Amino acid sequence: MKQFGKILKFELKYYFKNKVFVGVTVLLVLLIAAVMFFPRFASMLNSKNGDEPSERSVMLIKTESSEQEPLISQAFTEAFVNYDVQITQDSNDAIQEAITSGKAECAFVISELTSYIYYVGNLSMYDMNTETADSILQNIYRVNAMISGGIPAQQAGEIMSVPIESQTQNLGKDQMQNYWYTYIMIFALYMVILLYGQMVATNVATEKSSRAMEVLITSAKPAAMMFGKVIASCLAGLVQLIAVFGSAILFYSLNKDRWGDNPIVASIFDMPPGLLVYMLVFFVLGFFIYAFLYGAIGSTASKLEDINTSVLPVTMLFIIAFIVVMYSFSSGNVDNTLMKICSYIPFTSSMAMFTRIAMSTVPWYAIAASIVILIGSVIGIGVLSAKIYRVGVLLYGTTPKIGSILKSVWKA
Amino acid sequence: MILELQNIEKSFGNKPVLKGVSFQAESGKAFGLLGRNGAGKTTSIRILMDVFPANSGAVLIDGQPINYKQIQLGYLPEERGLYPKKIIIDQLAYFAELKGMRHKDAVKASDYWLERLGMAEYRNKRLDTLSKGNQQKIQLITAIAHNPDIVILDEPFSGLDPVNAMLLKDVVKEQIAENKIVLFSSHQMSYIEEFCDSIAILNAGKVALHGDLHTIKRNYVRDRLVVRTEYPEKLRAEFGKRCTAGENGCLFIQLASPEEKQAAMKHITDSYDIDEIRVFEPSLNDIFVEYASEAANKEDM
Repeated sequence: MKQFGKILKFELKYYFKNKVFVGVTVLLVLLIAAVMFFPRFASMLNSKNGDEPSERSVMLIKTESSEQEPLISQAFTEAFVNYDVQITQDSNDAIQEAITSGKAECAFVISELTSYIYYVGNLSMYDMNTETADSILQNIYRVNAMISGGIPAQQAGEIMSVPIESQTQNLGKDQMQNYWYTYIMIFALYMVILLYGQMVATNVATEKSSRAMEVLITSAKPAAMMFGKVIASCLAGLVQLIAVFGSAILFYSLNKDRWGDNPIVASIFDMPPGLLVYMLVFFVLGFFIYAFLYGAIGSTASKLEDINTSVLPVTMLFIIAFIVVMYSFSSGNVDNTLMKICSYIPFTSSMAMFTRIAMSTVPWYAIAASIVILIGSVIGIGVLSAKIYRVGVLLYGTTPKIGSILKSVWKA
Repeated sequence: MILELQNIEKSFGNKPVLKGVSFQAESGKAFGLLGRNGAGKTTSIRILMDVFPANSGAVLIDGQPINYKQIQLGYLPEERGLYPKKIIIDQLAYFAELKGMRHKDAVKASDYWLERLGMAEYRNKRLDTLSKGNQQKIQLITAIAHNPDIVILDEPFSGLDPVNAMLLKDVVKEQIAENKIVLFSSHQMSYIEEFCDSIAILNAGKVALHGDLHTIKRNYVRDRLVVRTEYPEKLRAEFGKRCTAGENGCLFIQLASPEEKQAAMKHITDSYDIDEIRVFEPSLNDIFVEYASEAANKEDM
């Protein structure tokens, strides 16, 4: 136990003195700070130019039937509040010229209520102007039709804008609301487990290839070495997660008022604290499973170059788990059969069960079962890995086959 | 204190590596564990150091099973290597702490040995900035800084220049003088001869020869003379086939029996112009070749 503490301390020091580890953490925090403070800086820049009224882009409207013109121009002005809607009688060439020269952003040339040409400088991916224009023109067309059918204009207007009262009572989780932070958390889980798991493997293989293992193995118990390394990297990963998430929450709360109108950002930071606890639990358990496997594999490689190929099966397993989870997650159906099975398999449950908890309603006993299976597997894989490690670190030469390792573990 | 390995057997898979290895080493003396590559030296050392258990047999201290909590061991492995990218004092202190020292004492002991081996200037450098010989001195510190009761040195002199070899010899003598058990494993027989009072030669997992080095040498049949002379042809003329060329221009003269040696030596010194004459005693090298060869192993079987 005393040895374990010393190994843990030594390994932790390795992470916290590692320039890459510190550099990446600081860089991530700075990046988050930059993003979170962006609206503040942006508004500061804007307020410098505050004397000039902010310019809206110009939208030109040309109607070829003069009797509809007042109605159309009024409707367009009301619908396109972000535009400076101007009525024009110029020729189509002149309108195109105005757009290409940058005087106007777009233009509607309406030949009749059911036909128009939309001119635009650059058609953006999110350009919804034609949809808006369509519904405006349809409305006018319908009102006109109703009036000519004998319905009074006022009644026609009421028919067109009859209000529908609706209420949504959500009894489970709001997937729209949870989507973004769940996405970010799954991704963080994935990145940290993959990154730090591989670091454990490299770490063990380095000790072996530099022959430091020869002295280590005579100085400390293999189990203490293995657990010390895995827990140290788990703590390092946690510290990085906390630094990143913590700074994000801190910087957000400093700039909350500036972000108020952004629904995605607001929903990200509206994550329930309970979910953070689940994330912690599933991160730690999921991490242990993979880190133990990575450690055991690292111990069987004699050269650092072998590591990449040796860890491939474990990495693939994890990537497949990630793809399954991500696929179900983005399809919105997180409670499909595959996900249900995956949330009890220890290699996938850390991500699968976490996603289901975040995005759907999972009964407490299912969560408990998943966590119990995970804890049991962590212990089992931990013991097995320590045994493989003990045998593996003394093997040099070609990387042994899994079968022969298990055989020698069985006999040891 | 007497360290005893008693009838140790060990197999890896179906391959027996140690087939009943027994030897004894005493404190205040150096012990040489010899054997060819693959004879089972490293496996014996690892069992002694509790890296893995033996299939059968026992490691005893003064007749009692060894208690690894009380008996400290220090090990300089043949395959050298520490953490190349880490600061020297950090890793030295770490290894001493793993052996049970408190952090403060570990740093103090490491500093003492850095000073003693003339390495103090490298204290805060990374290991991979040092030359190979100096890295080896750092590694030696990991074997002795925690003041172990048993020091195991596997090929300690390989790669050291004569000055550093001298320094290491002094350190080893110091350790012996401190009443520790020093266990040597080496293929450089001259060093073993210089330090070790007793030896064990392993051959194919068995102890081929074990005992006090001086006694082993005395027990050889003393029926051969080593003669150095400027006129070897004169001796050849008299002794014929019994006279063979030895090392360094000496001649070997084979006698019919050890009892003849007194008379033969008198006869040769009286009759010829002789620079040197003595009874042949085998060097450790000769003994090693005799006992560690494959032929010796087959005879045994």
